[in-house]
Order: sequence, then structure tokens, then C-alpha cells
Amino acid sequence: MTTKQWVKITPERVELNGEPLATTARGTALLTEIYRTRINDYPKFFKMDELCKLGFIASELLLQAEGDRHQDSEDRAVILFNRSSSVTNDRKYQDTIQRPDDYFPSPALFVYTLPNIVTGEIAIRNGYYGETSFYVLDAYDEATIRATVEASFLDGMTQSAICGWLDCEDADHFEASVYLIEK
Amino acid sequence: MIRRIADNIYSPLGLTTADNYASVKQGRSRLCRYEGAMGLPNPFTASLFDWDQVERLDGYTRFETIAIQSARQALAQTTIDPASPRVLFVLSTTKGNVELLDAQAESFPEDRVHLGTAARMVSAYFGNPNQPLVVSNACISGLSAQIIAMRLIESGACDTAVVIGADVQSHFIISGFQSLMALSPMECRPFDIERVGLNLGEAAATIIYDKVDQIGADEWQAVSGAVRNDAHHISNPSRTGEGSYRAIRAAMGEMPAERLAFVNVHGTSTLYNDEMEAVAVNRAGLKDVPVNSLKGYYGHTMGAAGVLETILSMQAVDDGCILGTRGFEELGVSKAVRVSAQNAQTDKRAFLKLLSGFGGCNAAMLFEKGGER
Amino acid sequence: MEELVLELKKQIIEVLNLEDVQPEDIENDAPLFGSGLGLDSIDALELIVMMEKNYGIKIKDPSAGKEIFKSINSMAEFVQANRKK
Repeated sequence: MTTKQWVKITPERVELNGEPLATTARGTALLTEIYRTRINDYPKFFKMDELCKLGFIASELLLQAEGDRHQDSEDRAVILFNRSSSVTNDRKYQDTIQRPDDYFPSPALFVYTLPNIVTGEIAIRNGYYGETSFYVLDAYDEATIRATVEASFLDGMTQSAICGWLDCEDADHFEASVYLIEK
Repeated sequence: MIRRIADNIYSPLGLTTADNYASVKQGRSRLCRYEGAMGLPNPFTASLFDWDQVERLDGYTRFETIAIQSARQALAQTTIDPASPRVLFVLSTTKGNVELLDAQAESFPEDRVHLGTAARMVSAYFGNPNQPLVVSNACISGLSAQIIAMRLIESGACDTAVVIGADVQSHFIISGFQSLMALSPMECRPFDIERVGLNLGEAAATIIYDKVDQIGADEWQAVSGAVRNDAHHISNPSRTGEGSYRAIRAAMGEMPAERLAFVNVHGTSTLYNDEMEAVAVNRAGLKDVPVNSLKGYYGHTMGAAGVLETILSMQAVDDGCILGTRGFEELGVSKAVRVSAQNAQTDKRAFLKLLSGFGGCNAAMLFEKGGER
Repeated sequence: MEELVLELKKQIIEVLNLEDVQPEDIENDAPLFGSGLGLDSIDALELIVMMEKNYGIKIKDPSAGKEIFKSINSMAEFVQANRKK
């Protein structure tokens, strides 16, 4: 497996292939800043929960660096891992059903109470018909991630993958370490 | 070759695979209407455990309990040492212990909401030293988990995989599906012209795989599997069944349609899902293969579905039977598919299992008994 | 009615996270779904929740939403006729 591009995002900084991007905002505002200054053509961004925004931004930066979106393909997988699942958004949804006298379950929040939705958002944006998978681990573990991604290439069709760690514990604590790799 | 060694279904219809198969063959289900249950203001129809009858394990949540109980029974049928580092636990679940987010929930440490922590409670119960792999890929998790288990065994990352699918119903999940208006107030009707939505369910199911050079005449092989995305919408399926069709094509490979006893589909009984699967099955050249859905017996058991429905399909082929689609009467999709309410006979030894889920993902797995003869 | 129309526009923008849309951008008679704002089925379900939350109107049948949410005008007419809050 060859790493073609890699991106790291925390609430404080964004690094693309080891180089920091110039940004002023912090926290989730940092994600919005990257969207506005480098993407800004996908209004659905604002409907996404934090985990999806994080994953969307990470994948966009990788694909911009690659220069080729490899659109409408079946041989690119999206395989992501985290520890927190969709818990940040789960809590938001729980809030809409917690009080019997203020009971308004939100469908828009509920659809994001699954961590794999971010893989779907990336697939929709780029026309990726290949494998999309999401795994949850007790703790970040490079060996498990590597073994799982390597095994995924046994699909036979898969030639490249957007893969890595994408975690959003709460609005102030998130982390992306995502790679574009080729077989 | 990836071989099934043992399995278990732990559900409202029974605590063993045999009991479950016998009930389903007789057309039974535990779907019933609940009013005011779990603090939900609106009634719903679901298949739920009678929790007074479940053997709760002290210090374990409801989700962890049924996962452990199921795995325990499956492992008891083998000589596997679950504490071996060459054994990997793979858990398929959509929401795990999500009910703990409720302010009125049972008292457990907050960390148990994390799927990895819950999974470790399960694998550690059996003394397994490895970090368990949790597959949280929406409703296709049960097949996703089996597919990655196959691949991890093939790649040598482990020798044996204990794949457990489990989910429990809760205020969180039921209210969410109610907000999507995806539920049927009555028992669901897969592929039927009168279908209006799905029923929810809960269960645990375990299937254990290892690797062999030759498959015995009575042994089940997980032949191949694929996951593909619609690249269309995060909750509605593709009208052209794009992802499902591609997953079928990839899983079927060179296998001719005539060798299949049936295609066990997702068949949730929503307007869009069943229509999409009819389209996909036709596109893939499988319109003459019998199709069935098991959601009329258990409802949609989410993370358990892929494992539970695979096991029942294996039992059915062992029994020379194609299980009827409970709730079906008259076809209500735009493409002809061979769905029947009645059980039927077969002497074929292979089947295809399909699932679709939120996030636009679709999975297909091909299983065959006795190898190629 | 003018007030209600403006109120609805602001609520829709907020509830559906239409970040780059201003009330002036939404024409009263323009279709909300399909083209125009490009709303989808989940947006329609959120609007059903919004109707109950803000105006006390319960819409039980999701297909009824198609006519009600056709445009801002049809929404305003519906609210005016059925509001309990």
C-alpha cells in the first residue's frame, strides 16, 4: 500500500502532507473556515453533523491535493475508524426526546446518529460506488487499522482508499488523521 | 476457504438456532403492538424480548448480555479457546448501549456508551486478549462484519473469527424511526402492495468462522462478499438500486444464478427499500431466483439482522426449504420478483444474502454448502 | 399574512440549516422542493416537526406534506387555517 496524500485536523490546526494550512479560526469554526476558503460549493455541508463535516473537509483536502477526484468509480473504498462513533450527534438527538413536555424527535438529527453516514457523504460528493465501511475501536490502534484496511483490499475491485481515523468526542474535541492510499 | 464452525440465534423467538428455525418454519413471530412502552408517546409494533425471561448478567447492560449469551452458546458447540490471541471477536451493532444516554437509564459508567468499550466487555468476558473490532455500518453491519472477518482470516490476521451481531431497542431508536415516519403501525408486509413501513426488532446472533483447505459435504462456506455504495442519498436508497446491484455482481462473480436456492433480501417492507431491491435483483439477472425476506418474523433487528438472517438461511437450505415471506400477499413492486408467503422446497445448496442501510451502503454475501461438486 | 410569510422564511432557513440563504432569496410562490431550495425528504420531515413545534399542527401523513410545503404561500395558508398556537 502506498500513501499518496495525508491530512491531520485538530481543533487547533490543519496539516496537509506535513505542511500546516494558514488558518485563524479554532474548533468547529476552523472547519467552516476551511470550507469557505477552499471549497464553498456544497451547501449540504451546513446540514452535516460535526463528524461528517470533519470527514468531508478531510476528504476534500486530500482530493484537492491529489488533483483528481476519481469520480464515478467503483474501485475506491472509504474506510474510517474512531472511538466515539456518532456520540456528539447522538447527544443532540437525545436532547430532542429527553423531556416529555418538550418532545420533538428530530429526523435531521436522527439520520446522523450513525458513524458510517460520513462515508456516505463522501461517496455522494464524489460518486464513489465502491466499499464504504466504518469501524469503532476501544482506542486508536495503528496495527488494527492497518490490518483491517489491508484485508479490505482483498475485495479485488478496490484499488485505492480514503481511510484513517475520524473522531469527534464533542464539539471541542475532534481529530482526523486520514490518508489517500493506493494498492 | 472460509468455513462456518458454529452459530447461535438468541432472540424473542428462541434462545437457540434450532428453536428459532422451528418457530420461523411454522410461521410464528413475536411482533406485537406496544402502547406507552419505554416512555414513547406513540404506539409501535415490534419484536422485543420479554426481559423478565432473559438471563441478565450482573454488571452487564442489556446489549452486552444478549451478545454474551449468544456467543457463549455458539462457542460451547466448538473446541475453540476464546482466550487465544488468534481468535478475533467482531461485533456488529448500530447503537450498542445508546439507551445509557437517557437521563433515566440504568446506572452504568458513562464510558459504556462507547461501542468499543461495550465490545471489550463482551470479548473480555471470554478472556480474549485482542481489541475487538466493532463494525458500525448501519443496517448492513451484520454482513459487513462477516465480510471483514472472512478477509482478516484470509490475510492471516487471525485464525478464527467470532462474529456477533446484536442490538436492543430503546426510546432513542424507536422515536427516531417514528420521526422518519418509516414504521408500520401493523405487522410489516415485505414486497406487498399494501406495505407502509418497517417493524423494529431486537436480537443477538453469533457465527464463528475459520479457514480450511477443503469444505466438508455438510459444511457451510462463506464464498464471497462485497459492500458497495449508492452514492445517492444518506437515507433514501438509489432508485436504480445502484449499490445493491454492484454488490450482487461482485459477490456472485462467476456463480450462475441457477445454483442459488434463493436470494434472502433486506426486505424491510418500506416503500422505497423493497422497490429498490426488486430493481437491483432484476438488473443482476436474478429475477427467476426465489426471493424471501425474514423481516416479517423478527422485524428489523439492525446490527443482528445480517448474522441472524444468514444463519436462518443456512438452516433452511440444510432443511431443503425456502422460507416464506411472512406478511406478503400480493406483489407491490414495479419489477417481477419471485416472492411467496409459503415455504417451498429446494435441493440447491447456495444462497445470496443482501442488506442495505443508511449512508447508502449495500452488502451482498454468497454462501454455499459442501463446496463445488 | 406578510408577517407570517417572513416568519416562515426565517424559520425554514434556521431549521433546515440553509446557511447561505436570506429571506429575500425565497420567492413566495416558488417551489421549495426539487429545484429552487433543493429540499429533500428529510427536510420535509423536519418541516412537519416545525409545524407541530411552532404552530401546534400535527401532520400525520407524510404525503400530505407535498401539497402543504409546495411553496411559502401554500405553507402560510395552511398555517393560518390550522394553527393552534
